[in-house]
Amino acid sequence: MRLKGYKYPVNALITFLCLFLTLGQLSCSRSRDRSKGPLIVASAGKIISLDPAQASTFDALQLLSALGDPLYRLDRNGNLEPRLAEGLPQISEDKLSILIPLRKQILFHDGTPFNAESMVFSIKRFMRIGTLNYVLGDKISSVEAVDKHLLKFNLKRPSTSLNGLLTSISLTPVSPTAYKGFESNFLNNKFVGTGPYKLKSFHEQQQRLVPFDSYWGDQARNRGIDFIKLTNSISLFGAIKTGEIDVLISNAIDADHRLALSNMSKDRKLIEGVGPALEVGYITFLTNTPPLDKLTLRKALSMSLDRNLITQRVSYGQRTPLRSLIPPTLSRGKDTFWPEYSPNTARKIFQQSGYCSGERLKLPLTFRSNVPADKLLALTWKAQIEKDLSDCLVLLLDGVEATTVYRQLGKGAFQVVMLDWRGAYPDPEAYLAPLLSCTKSKGFVCLDGEAVVSGSFWTSPGLEQLLLSSDQLFGEDRFDQLREIEQIAADGLPYVPVWLVKPKVWLQPYLEPPVFDGSGHLMLQLLSPQTND
Amino acid sequence: MTRGIALFRYSLTRLLMAPLMLWLISSLVFLLVRVAPGDPVDAVLGTRASPAAREAMRARLGLDQPLLNQYFDFVNGLFHGDLGNALSNQEPVSGIIARTLPASMELGISALLIASLLGLMVGFLGIFRPEGKLDLLGRIYGIGTYALPPFWAAMLVQLLFAVILGWLPVGGRFPPGEVPPDGTGFLLLDSILEGNWSALNGALRHLLLPASTLGFLLSGIFSRSLQLNLSRTLRSDYVEAARSRGLREKDVIVNHALPNSLLPVLTIAGITVASLIGGALLIEVTFSWPGIALRLQEAINQRDYPVVQGIVVVVAALVVFISVVVDLLVAALDPRVTY
Repeated sequence: MRLKGYKYPVNALITFLCLFLTLGQLSCSRSRDRSKGPLIVASAGKIISLDPAQASTFDALQLLSALGDPLYRLDRNGNLEPRLAEGLPQISEDKLSILIPLRKQILFHDGTPFNAESMVFSIKRFMRIGTLNYVLGDKISSVEAVDKHLLKFNLKRPSTSLNGLLTSISLTPVSPTAYKGFESNFLNNKFVGTGPYKLKSFHEQQQRLVPFDSYWGDQARNRGIDFIKLTNSISLFGAIKTGEIDVLISNAIDADHRLALSNMSKDRKLIEGVGPALEVGYITFLTNTPPLDKLTLRKALSMSLDRNLITQRVSYGQRTPLRSLIPPTLSRGKDTFWPEYSPNTARKIFQQSGYCSGERLKLPLTFRSNVPADKLLALTWKAQIEKDLSDCLVLLLDGVEATTVYRQLGKGAFQVVMLDWRGAYPDPEAYLAPLLSCTKSKGFVCLDGEAVVSGSFWTSPGLEQLLLSSDQLFGEDRFDQLREIEQIAADGLPYVPVWLVKPKVWLQPYLEPPVFDGSGHLMLQLLSPQTND
Repeated sequence: MTRGIALFRYSLTRLLMAPLMLWLISSLVFLLVRVAPGDPVDAVLGTRASPAAREAMRARLGLDQPLLNQYFDFVNGLFHGDLGNALSNQEPVSGIIARTLPASMELGISALLIASLLGLMVGFLGIFRPEGKLDLLGRIYGIGTYALPPFWAAMLVQLLFAVILGWLPVGGRFPPGEVPPDGTGFLLLDSILEGNWSALNGALRHLLLPASTLGFLLSGIFSRSLQLNLSRTLRSDYVEAARSRGLREKDVIVNHALPNSLLPVLTIAGITVASLIGGALLIEVTFSWPGIALRLQEAINQRDYPVVQGIVVVVAALVVFISVVVDLLVAALDPRVTY
């Protein structure tokens, strides 16, 4: 049976396709006048709160750094630069109190004046409900306003790292008037601070920032920022490539997209900016239970890791191999404490431990299944071991969702697990204490403290004292002690640093090159179209 | 008992069963999210918060209560139309749903329209020359689109039309530099109601790629279904009778065969609508579409119990409602259906 009339649906189909293509072509005619509107900055992270007491993600802190001011800022050389403070902190002779003079005639976005009382309000609020308040907990006993523009911190113990802490954007002041009624609750979708931008609107997918006309410092060099969220790497890559967005901030994009963007910047199709590397990727060993309670096995494992190969394979060399826990930008001098790749030495150690002659050590390696780089690292390391030490060691890969990993970490659930860490503030202590601090121990086993939360359960006799005393030293003495601590950790091998991640941004070529602050945040207020002269 | 009364009784039974079904679903979700490893307090405070801060947060969120108390609070809230607040930012769950559901519905309805148009056109093509090239192509199309992995197809489409050709935006629901129109949350509708043609253009441009991709992927079901039903109907006795009465072939198909062939397609459309209300997760993730499925996924990752529970309950209620409506519609259109 053959029926006539098939041309009608064919025509309809062709019309449909033409309509799609026409709409597509119409869309092509879009164009934005870059000089008139706000700059569009995209990132992958979702911002659920702009309350400095609640915000803890990189993207939220990035946005807060444009909306608020810290007391101090670290410059690219690691020196304190006063922002809301008028001068450097004045430390008392007993080092148990710090006086901070504050700038005058600064206004909050709601027009109310900034003073020491508002700073006290904000810090007390942070200490009461802040998600990162543990960073202050063991350092500050109280904070008070000595006079209208003089702030005083009373310390529980002398603390050098407090300087770094004072640069934290989490301590940015908020207007007591605007936050009335929110002293003990979060105010998530508003922000009233002192920064170069005001928050005009807040949605989960988009936040709009407009320049604050009464800002005390240099005015923002652009007409505002639209901060948007795109959920995946290809969207972010496509958006910057097609000019849909002006700036891409993200550590969440895939390695091949990063490489493509870096290549585009070499061809001057984009501008690439690199901030101070403050994120470390590392492997944690569970040291309180067999088999990794044996230091020799941890050493052999550590020597089986070829960081150069792994960083090349996983990130095309975009990440830097790392052999210290503290990012080199924060430490001075030696930054290679952990053993180098040495498969022959690793083999000897395995042989001495009774492996390699028919007996193979089987170890589960856990990685966060929703972090692509972790999975690639796990696969590369496994393949490398199959090549070098297949008769001695077998890695059994186990992908677990990140939320579950963090929850189970402190329960000793993972023998070998891949993680990353970015300090809450740019100071060596923010990298060592969260991994090594231990308040209760028995020999080399930590029973309570940060080392338990971090999943290693490792400590060393005297290490906690060294950590505490390093926080009371200044200058080279402090760095010497920090190096000593790193060496102890490198000898004990509860962790193996793998790589360092530098924050990168990509800008359209019509913008001025980007500038980062010492905390690794892009300074959005300095983004501006290039001038022709 | 007349057909009308039977239909009424059937509808009533279905509607009365709905609350029971919703209670079962919500109870199951309540238990499942709590059995899953992970802690919402971690999502809010991070893993390094002090035990005191964790306990305070747990108390504030009501997570320190016995499970039974939490369950009764949840059910009591449901009865009063209160879905609770998100644990992560204390936003009312009803507000989250009110914001994200229209986005998913707009995408789903647009995709369904495209799927129906495309699927029915392709399905219709083969009828005129059975076993011909077009028929064969239609079959391949039907099976092929159904078999395509959505995330792969979506990424490919995004790469081609947004990244390489640059015709359409890569993601999002509205141009980032512009302010979306207020109103119902359906941006196309709101733009038209406001008479804001620039906003309509922006919303349409952002909708076109995800809706077309989803529509394309769904169209195979429609084309195959129509093709099979129409070819079977065309071989039936009553169609032969129509032909023998000397009716034109076009009239035979359009007036006699097509209405009967479309009935199963309507059922499929109903099931598809129901599933689309829950959002097309992979499409929403790929195109950064701020719909309810994307929000549900985020809530699951954050172990945000009230948001997960609220979204599942509302979506389940809508699915139940739509399936009843479709049943009634089919019953009204097809006198052969008995109850």
